[in-house]
Amino acid sequence: MTTIDTTAPVVRPAATVGVTGVRARLGRSLQRGGWFVAPFLLLYALFVLTPIARGLWLSLTDANITGEGTSFVGLDNYTEALGDPLVWSSLGHSAYFTLLVVPCITVLAFLLAMLAHHIQHAKWLWRLCFFAPFLLPSTVVGNMWRWMFNPDTGLMDHVFHLESAWLTQKSTAMTAVVIATLWWTVGFSFLLYLAALQNIPPHLYEAAALDGANAWHRALHITLPMLRNVTGLVVALQILASLQVFDQVVVMYEFGPGPEESTRTLVQYTLEQGFTSYRVGYASAISILFFLIIAAVAVGRMWLLRKREEAVR
Amino acid sequence: MGQPGLNRRQLLTALGGLTVAGSLGFAALGTGADALASDARTRVRYWNLFSGGDGVNMIDMLDAFRAANPGVDVKDSTLRWGNPYYTKLAMAASGNRAPELAVLHLGRLAGFAPERQLDPFDTDLLAEYGVREQDFNPTLWQRSLIDGQLYALPLDIHPQLNFYRKDICAQAGLIGDDGNLITLTSPDDWFDALKEAKKVVKKGLQTIGLHAFDQNFAWWFFMSFYAQAGGTYYDEHLTDVTFDTGKATEILEFLRRHITDGYNIAGSPDAEHFMNGGAFVWEGGWSVPVYDAPKIPYGATPLPPLFGKPATQAESHAFVLPHQSDRGGAANEAAHRLAAYIVRHAVDWAKGGHIPAYTPTLTDPAYRKLTPQSEYASAMDHMALEPPAWFAGSSGTLAQRIGPVVVAANLGSTTPDAAARRMRQVLTQLLETSNPMGGGTA
Amino acid sequence: MSATAGIRRRWTPSQIALTTLGALVSAVMMAPILWTLFTSLKTETEAVAVPTHWLPEDWTLQAWRNIFETGNITNWFVNSVVVSVCVTFIVVLVSALAGYGFARTEFRGKKALLGLVMAGLMISPAVLGVPLFTTVQAMGMVDTYWGMILPQCAPAAMVYILYKFFQGIPKELEEAAFIDGAGRWRVFFTIVLPLSRPSLSAVGIFTFIASWNNFLWPYMVTNNPDLMTMPNGIATVMNSYGIQWAQLMAGGLMAGLPLVIVFIFFQRQIVAGVAHTGLAGQ
Repeated sequence: MTTIDTTAPVVRPAATVGVTGVRARLGRSLQRGGWFVAPFLLLYALFVLTPIARGLWLSLTDANITGEGTSFVGLDNYTEALGDPLVWSSLGHSAYFTLLVVPCITVLAFLLAMLAHHIQHAKWLWRLCFFAPFLLPSTVVGNMWRWMFNPDTGLMDHVFHLESAWLTQKSTAMTAVVIATLWWTVGFSFLLYLAALQNIPPHLYEAAALDGANAWHRALHITLPMLRNVTGLVVALQILASLQVFDQVVVMYEFGPGPEESTRTLVQYTLEQGFTSYRVGYASAISILFFLIIAAVAVGRMWLLRKREEAVR
Repeated sequence: MGQPGLNRRQLLTALGGLTVAGSLGFAALGTGADALASDARTRVRYWNLFSGGDGVNMIDMLDAFRAANPGVDVKDSTLRWGNPYYTKLAMAASGNRAPELAVLHLGRLAGFAPERQLDPFDTDLLAEYGVREQDFNPTLWQRSLIDGQLYALPLDIHPQLNFYRKDICAQAGLIGDDGNLITLTSPDDWFDALKEAKKVVKKGLQTIGLHAFDQNFAWWFFMSFYAQAGGTYYDEHLTDVTFDTGKATEILEFLRRHITDGYNIAGSPDAEHFMNGGAFVWEGGWSVPVYDAPKIPYGATPLPPLFGKPATQAESHAFVLPHQSDRGGAANEAAHRLAAYIVRHAVDWAKGGHIPAYTPTLTDPAYRKLTPQSEYASAMDHMALEPPAWFAGSSGTLAQRIGPVVVAANLGSTTPDAAARRMRQVLTQLLETSNPMGGGTA
Repeated sequence: MSATAGIRRRWTPSQIALTTLGALVSAVMMAPILWTLFTSLKTETEAVAVPTHWLPEDWTLQAWRNIFETGNITNWFVNSVVVSVCVTFIVVLVSALAGYGFARTEFRGKKALLGLVMAGLMISPAVLGVPLFTTVQAMGMVDTYWGMILPQCAPAAMVYILYKFFQGIPKELEEAAFIDGAGRWRVFFTIVLPLSRPSLSAVGIFTFIASWNNFLWPYMVTNNPDLMTMPNGIATVMNSYGIQWAQLMAGGLMAGLPLVIVFIFFQRQIVAGVAHTGLAGQ
């Protein structure tokens, strides 16, 4: 499978050479380096390309979890998905989550990085404290915050005297997940910012200081512009990750849809359809639609990057 | 770089190499540490979902079984009830890597494919271990059959109950001469009783806990009263929706009134309020051990018949044999033996609040002495059940879709009549979705 | 390391203010972890006592003892180690080979293949979980270690990072070896790999963290509690005694602490590794 992939885009038409010719050419090209990529391509073909192809096919069938008795249904699954209010509401929840998390995490990570960058003492300590939560598994984070938000006995209630139980109210349910997520993942973006800050050549600041720029000016005119690339990266990575949110939400809401179905995300709905209702065909169709959204975000980012590069030139 | 550094690096490299080699080797073995460690001849993997007070009883019964059958190694795993449990059971069964024995809610049986996901019980073998058809409630036994074969062995019935504090209710004048709660037969009776109770309940505590936020409980309570009012969901062939939005509106208004009239403080920890001095709480029978622990005087009846005939939502735990292509031999026999053992030792199980499915237990003096269990044993004759469709059953697709609608009505975020119409839509939509495991629409 | 290293560290007023702020923020970040730790050291009754309090009045290791006695935790720990170590080993090996292949060797269709691999950056079990599951199911690998391991071993991102890195190594180093008559493979293993230790360890560290903490894929592909990894077991297997917060918190720490402890010792490498792999996406 993979070896065929390796030589897929043959330049000359294959019909003009015999089978032995193809095989010889294949051998030569592999000698020149094809074998290096072969193991990866094998895994890639099995666990990335096959699922895509399979997903496309399954989405056109009424396949169930056992894979027996499957028949072709055309675009029925897609029509159903586009008219399914739960697809839209769960997409809405994922989007809402993304909308809350991305700006908060970007600003927080930047501020934490500035702080850690400018404190001169015990630098390791700040890095440890800001980054450590990221090392915890998502399900542990979910359990911890379920406990934190527990009415009467949770820390949040203890410290902030919450008016109501956050995990049981529609209005606060997603916010609670967002708070847990910020705490958990801000460390990753923080590290990216910190590394970017350390990569800014010091002579830029020295030159500015000679010109009499104060700290604010330097931050505004040197630091921020120099962090533009990393900000773009942080935002893009966070958007992609947030749209795929699943783990901490289901753990905090015990694998249910949350109060009044307010926290069911698109990934969760897909898995419910596939693994709870056993409708693998339908779940595949939702997956493909979801994939298109993710791809659109990724392509959009590439387009933005390219446009900016052109503008710089 | 000096010599010591190099040595340390070599050591680390060697250690790393060993770890990698060990891990690869372990992965190749593929059974997991626990199975490797087990030296018993017969290993029965048994999955269940008991994690309340009943979980403790199950552990005790398993320990008793182990003591009596030293040749059998029972590996029990408690998975989280709801999605994870049923998803994992279904997938393990379809993937042919199923445990030898598992627990299932009977309402879920329709969603599991016979032969492909479940294997039938060997009734001769069961009889050998002392379990026969005549020892079971006939309704339960019928529900356990698919095409005449026994695919589930019922263990219990667990109804929704009206728990009441005898001390508080006595102060409110709600206790009859027999020492139990007086009979209440209409919504007006019921709210009058709540009104009296509220007067004697401490400030800050709710009069009644009814899990208003919980989509499962909300649905179960709705089901109970809707069945009392004579409501149905589908016709008997599962082809038409017969849901009565008028009756449903009435029930939803009734449920909502507990909150608007201040008898329930939505979102409170219901069990804690009850133990601290609330008058009532609606709960599953499995809460009996929870309320036994603090030694409060309480009783429990089926949900009161306020809308006509008595009915209370009830489900049943049953044993099933998840599909294994090579089922048979000692492990299979041990699975039968374990299931039969637990079904027959149902008095211990009944301490967890469940009504035993094995009828000889009901007349057992030890059972009759259990309170409040004997007070609500009648609930088994008036079970409000979900329709026998593939999407039904404990925490199944139906409950997941329709439960949140009842919650929304409870909390007032939608009006009762709008919620009733929405429920009808859900029922219609699900009926139109064909059963993914084949076999028509339902 | 940075420009500040040479400057004398002095306690100027602004430093004092910044450090205080840093300490406050750290306290907030650490509070949930400490809360978890203290909960795990309470008795189950004390954990849910109202009103709640920070420090245990009655310090006890009961919860910790219980989780070890029931045995699941140790099983899952072993499984987590097995899966993460295998995934890390395979990913580092395979993506180093592939990164080098793409960066330094020529073969037909390389450009197109590279494009195809880059497209794979968008795929994850969250997006295509159901088809991935049926694929693995068709291979008969549901509820096996390999079913958990192998699908985590085709990360296009890591190939891309190493590809970028290998492109940056001066060609002269390899050419000298070629002239001495060494083959591609020898050059790769004796010259290129040793040169790339920082990048390889970055990829390795990142992969290990991701794999150790991975929940979604192991959740989909394992049903057998004997085979579950830590994050999966903690979320799906229950205690027969209901929710026991002290034990739940102790189990969570068991799953989370190994990485935190490793982090304390290898902080610089891990920070560099995460930043490096993350920034490489630019």
